Amino acid sequence: MLIPMLPLEKTIHALWRHNEIGDVQKRTYLRIQFPGYENPVALASETAFSVSEVEALFELYKSISGSVIDDGLINKEEFQLALFKNQKKENLFANRIFDLFDVKKKGFIDFGDFVRSLNVFHRNAPLEEKIDYSFKLYDLDGTGFIERHGVKQMLIALLCESQMKLADETVEIILDKTFMEADADQDGKIDRSEWQNFVSKYPSLLKIMTLPYLRDITTTFPSFVFNSEVDEIAT
Amino acid sequence: MQSPVYYALVNPNLSILMNMCFIFQRITIPEIMKDEWFKKNYKPPVFYEKEDADLDDVQALFKDSEEYRVTEKKEEQQPTAMNAFELISMSRGLKLDNLFDVEQGFKRETRFTSKCPANEIISKIVKAAKPLGFDIHKKNYKMRLENVKAGRKGNLNVATEIFQVAPSLHMVEVRKAKGDTLEFHMFCKNLSSSLEDVVWKTEEDMQETK
Repeated sequence: MLIPMLPLEKTIHALWRHNEIGDVQKRTYLRIQFPGYENPVALASETAFSVSEVEALFELYKSISGSVIDDGLINKEEFQLALFKNQKKENLFANRIFDLFDVKKKGFIDFGDFVRSLNVFHRNAPLEEKIDYSFKLYDLDGTGFIERHGVKQMLIALLCESQMKLADETVEIILDKTFMEADADQDGKIDRSEWQNFVSKYPSLLKIMTLPYLRDITTTFPSFVFNSEVDEIAT
Repeated sequence: MQSPVYYALVNPNLSILMNMCFIFQRITIPEIMKDEWFKKNYKPPVFYEKEDADLDDVQALFKDSEEYRVTEKKEEQQPTAMNAFELISMSRGLKLDNLFDVEQGFKRETRFTSKCPANEIISKIVKAAKPLGFDIHKKNYKMRLENVKAGRKGNLNVATEIFQVAPSLHMVEVRKAKGDTLEFHMFCKNLSSSLEDVVWKTEEDMQETK
């Protein structure tokens, strides 16, 4: 058959579709181009996503991971670009999220990390996981506690970002009030169980842990034309 | 124009209706809705909110029994204080939805800060919303504004809540509870022009665009 002059990936898929190469070759290709690539079927079975949704996430992943360096991995700069849309910014919170997504602590996010991390933000992910994740998010130094100075740092970062200037005393008052409620044993830091109690009192704190757009991912990033594994699964 | 053969297998009323769709003077949707064939067993749509129910469900608030008690003393209460984490979660760096690069269309909620006292903010909102045709339900520092007239997706229903950030700083959240998002967007635009002297920082200000 004539191989059309398409980007390499589409050629590989066309060959695969026409049985010129097998699944093993296709996956080998993908694993070379995208280190950490995992079979969508496997990822779907481990997460709340369907196979189509994982494939759609792959489309998104490809565009983010190729935006600065085409190495099939998402580095911090690419993550910032994706989040702030052409306004590359240093942002304390975006950095925290990046660090959490970078599961293996290698300085980049691979496809498996990407899907598994986004899984926590799925509406069907267990509440326990969301509580855990948010706790880790705010535990800036990784001490296993949310420390007051960390919260102060984050609060100041937020005020700065929102261009709201508040006197230091005001910031301290906000922190005092927060810790009075959240820090049950008044030891100056919030432990995991105090966080759990606090979050059950203020469930809106977990709003950031669920992404409604994940629901529409297959329509936003359709991938079934060339890539779909879905027909290959016997249903 | 010859009718295709399959029309013979179809309800003749439907086939007449279908012909009306194909000829040059196309039938309009409202006219279709008046047709006998269409009206048979027709149930008008109920508009479900695309989003999940809000965790801090204002609906529940208005249903609770406190409302039925005498509320004379309630006016002295302070607006709910926003704790540090509620403020922190407003950061743009935590809005992972932006990864999806979706045309997010019109927002379903907005917020602004104000240095005015909470009661003044409330009265200004009420003053702005009433002439726009909204019914007001107030409870402490939460309000429900309902458009008397039905819009594209039923009556627009807006929830507002005032939070205290600091003794002299309040955060006002304006959220669509029910109805068409575009209508909500227009409402917010009208509201913000009436509230110019109350608003300290709008959401746009808070997004820090450089």
